[in-house]
Amino acid sequence: MLELSAIWKPETQQQLFRALLNAMARPGSRESNVIPADGEAIGLPVLAVLVDAAVTLADPHQLLRKSDWSLLQAAEKSADTADYIFCDGNRAPEFSPKLGTLTGPEQSATLIVSVSGLNSVTTRLKLKGPGIAESTTLVIDGLDPAWIHAREDWVCEFPLGVDLILVSETQLAAIPRTTNVEVL
Amino acid sequence: MSSVQSFGYLDEYAKKEVRRSALKAVAIPGYQVPYSSREMPMGRGFGTGGLQLTLSLIGSQETLKVIDQGSDDSVNAVNLRSFIEMTCPGIDTTTKTAEASLIQSRHRIPEQPLREDQIIVLQVPYPDPLVLVEPSEDKRKQMHGEMDYSRLLVKLYEDMVRFDEITISHRYPTRINGQYVLDPSPIPRWDVPKMNHSNALILFGAGREKKIYAVPPYTDAEPLVFSDVPFRVEDFSDASGGRRACRICGCRSSFLDEYSDSRTGETVYQCSDADWCEELSQSTEKPAGVSNA
Repeated sequence: MLELSAIWKPETQQQLFRALLNAMARPGSRESNVIPADGEAIGLPVLAVLVDAAVTLADPHQLLRKSDWSLLQAAEKSADTADYIFCDGNRAPEFSPKLGTLTGPEQSATLIVSVSGLNSVTTRLKLKGPGIAESTTLVIDGLDPAWIHAREDWVCEFPLGVDLILVSETQLAAIPRTTNVEVL
Repeated sequence: MSSVQSFGYLDEYAKKEVRRSALKAVAIPGYQVPYSSREMPMGRGFGTGGLQLTLSLIGSQETLKVIDQGSDDSVNAVNLRSFIEMTCPGIDTTTKTAEASLIQSRHRIPEQPLREDQIIVLQVPYPDPLVLVEPSEDKRKQMHGEMDYSRLLVKLYEDMVRFDEITISHRYPTRINGQYVLDPSPIPRWDVPKMNHSNALILFGAGREKKIYAVPPYTDAEPLVFSDVPFRVEDFSDASGGRRACRICGCRSSFLDEYSDSRTGETVYQCSDADWCEELSQSTEKPAGVSNA
């Protein structure tokens, strides 16, 4: 019998969704509710919460296995057109995600970026904006500096833009399009 | 209830749809995200939008509070609460604002300031403030996209010309993060300032109109006004200029409901927020209350 990992169970997904919601509402806050997936790609638990057959998914860095695709049920699309893009933070982004339109800014991509960690410092960011009382600091390990510059271009015309979800093996944090990011 | 019924009534696909939309709503503060609102076993207009959000958020560890116009005991609140209890076995419910992790509300934000670890879900009948001035949804979407609220401001101006007062009593159009203007659901003006830099995340669900939107914590929420006409909340002064007090707890700093005493015919006032009133009635030391006005 097929034994599914906990990340596909509704209770796990509900808890992880609450962590995601809090992360998106409070940019830079680190959520520790990520259950490490057994030998699966880092970030797959987040995809399991968000993705189903109603949306499209891109995997430009080939992080997913064939069996993951069949459980996710999403149709595969290129990173330039997909609703959700799953990427490796260590590699610079070489695509232009969809940013939505003025009348439909929600038709923009959400980027799920797997990183090595959210505790040790390789990149230190100062965040300001909605959801943050004054300012907050987010430290990331394993994010290519090109991401920060690319994001700046993508979000420069609010309400157009993309929302970033950074996932490590045990933690996650989000940087929505409204957040002002400064590299320290 | 049959045991095959999934936790939270909605199937997992419906929850995913609501969850995706809620995340987008938080990421684009004040923007109405369209979603595929499901049929619920109650009429649209009875809080199905708020209910779908609650059911997609709730987990078995939750402590839930459901209120309708500030009361835990009115028909809408009781029915929604019992439906959620029935479909979400294991959750706790409470009437105490301080104890709740998730609050679903119709037409009020509790008097007691909310905390960071709480989320409030408001039921919304009409999500778009521009519906007052533009009947076509296509055009309204474009106006929102261009942040064009001039016609809404003209409507406020016309009120000033005719009545010397902006006559919107509830659903006061509020600009979020200096960008989108939203309809904060039929909360009284009294509650509008509570959305500004709130500690708690505020989510809005409109089931019939199929929209979800949000005000993230620590976000500017400014009611639309003119620079020389400041926003003001309801005035509870009596004829002599004194602040009316709740007849039960004596609070002089809460939003009051006006009733007519059926025996004496006298007009009486009491707190709209039932939990606030009860907490104050029970505490021996009466605090001055939160400042709001």
